[in-house]
Amino acid sequence: MDVAQALEDVVEELVSIQKDVNKLKTASVSGQALRKRVKDTHKNWLPVAGVLEVGNIVDTAQVQEVSDTWTALVKLANSASPKKQYKALLKSIITKTESELLHKFIKSSAIQTIGDTLRKLVQPIADPELLKYLDESIRCAETNCVRASVVLAWCAVAHMVHKKLTSLGIATLNAEFARMKADKGLMFRTFMKDYVFSTDPDVQEAADAHLILLCRFLTYLDDTQYKHLKGALDLRNGCGHPTGYQPDPVKLQAYYVDITQLVLLNPKLA
Amino acid sequence: MLDKLKADFDGIIELVNKTPAPLQETAFKMILEQWFNANTAPKPVPPPPPPAPLGPGAPAAPGGVPDAVKPFLTANAITTEILEKGFHPTGPGAQLLASSIPGNGKANKLVSLSLLLCVKQALESGSFTCTLKELRELAVHYDCYDSPNFSATLKANKNYYNPRDKGADLELSGPGRRKAGEIIKSIAAGE
Repeated sequence: MDVAQALEDVVEELVSIQKDVNKLKTASVSGQALRKRVKDTHKNWLPVAGVLEVGNIVDTAQVQEVSDTWTALVKLANSASPKKQYKALLKSIITKTESELLHKFIKSSAIQTIGDTLRKLVQPIADPELLKYLDESIRCAETNCVRASVVLAWCAVAHMVHKKLTSLGIATLNAEFARMKADKGLMFRTFMKDYVFSTDPDVQEAADAHLILLCRFLTYLDDTQYKHLKGALDLRNGCGHPTGYQPDPVKLQAYYVDITQLVLLNPKLA
Repeated sequence: MLDKLKADFDGIIELVNKTPAPLQETAFKMILEQWFNANTAPKPVPPPPPPAPLGPGAPAAPGGVPDAVKPFLTANAITTEILEKGFHPTGPGAQLLASSIPGNGKANKLVSLSLLLCVKQALESGSFTCTLKELRELAVHYDCYDSPNFSATLKANKNYYNPRDKGADLELSGPGRRKAGEIIKSIAAGE
């Protein structure tokens, strides 16, 4: 069963019934046709509720709550009943079905397929160090821990950037940072930091923002690539600090596309 | 390279003359761009590590727009520059760049989104299609999902899609591709 489609159909019919109830000039809903439509729509709801109750996709307590409201509505439809009561129950079912069931079902179904999507993206990566971070990140995504997934995937990016930059040699790296500081070009003139590294692990203390700027300076990235990687770092920082931001699976997928293309599979950074 | 360009130039002009007059400038630019891509000697770079096999859905090998999408771009006068403002990358693995979807109201935004997703899929696989699952997920993401009117909105704009059964994937029709082209250009123009 296409649950999203079935829920949409139920909501669509309920909205139509709601409009017709609102149009009534009487204080009660007594027409057989309208009452039958309520019962018919309830019949369409039951199999969907069955599917939602057995799955872990949405909160089963919410499904039960909507089902209970349906029971009350069908009871009303057994005889002529006050319009006011219909309106309240219809509004409740429509609102909860949309916000607590349908929207959550769509987001959860994206979570259920995100693992496969992300694994395809990282499939060409062979470095076991990177894969350790990425595997953990993808497992986080599959359990709906999207922020954790973003942060862990960035660890793979940082690992690769550190590895590439330290491969230049510490003396060269220090010299390149100094050269970048002296550069008055549009992209680099705001960079004012003095970095003097003594050992490879010192590089890990440098700000990721400065390390990726150096990647741009060394032309491992072009302007557009740098802009997108900076966006990915901003997302990582938003997820790694206490903020109210909660990215969804769509955002996570776009982030993965960027980091794989720009860094993890970028031959200039290999 | 200049000699080769001189030799190929007449052929390029002949090709450009076959396109409608208003599109000739764009066509010339695109063909020339392709010619340079194909004929510029790559700069020497250190040999990359041996590539792992790419699976379906794997990220883009750099290189860009699939051949199947090129006629759509030419017909709608969409240059690589315009396309890059809407999608990144402009090949397999393409993602929609727009932070908001063009259109007034949820219904118009939903239609725009569906057309853009079909183009995104075309950049991925060459086919201008989009699943309803993906459309719903992105519509929720872009806050243009209106569940009671989802089916009705698609039905009301059915000329943009090839005939389909209820619940089936969307596939762009001719008018749909034209509309998608307009939307991409409006995104690039910052409208």
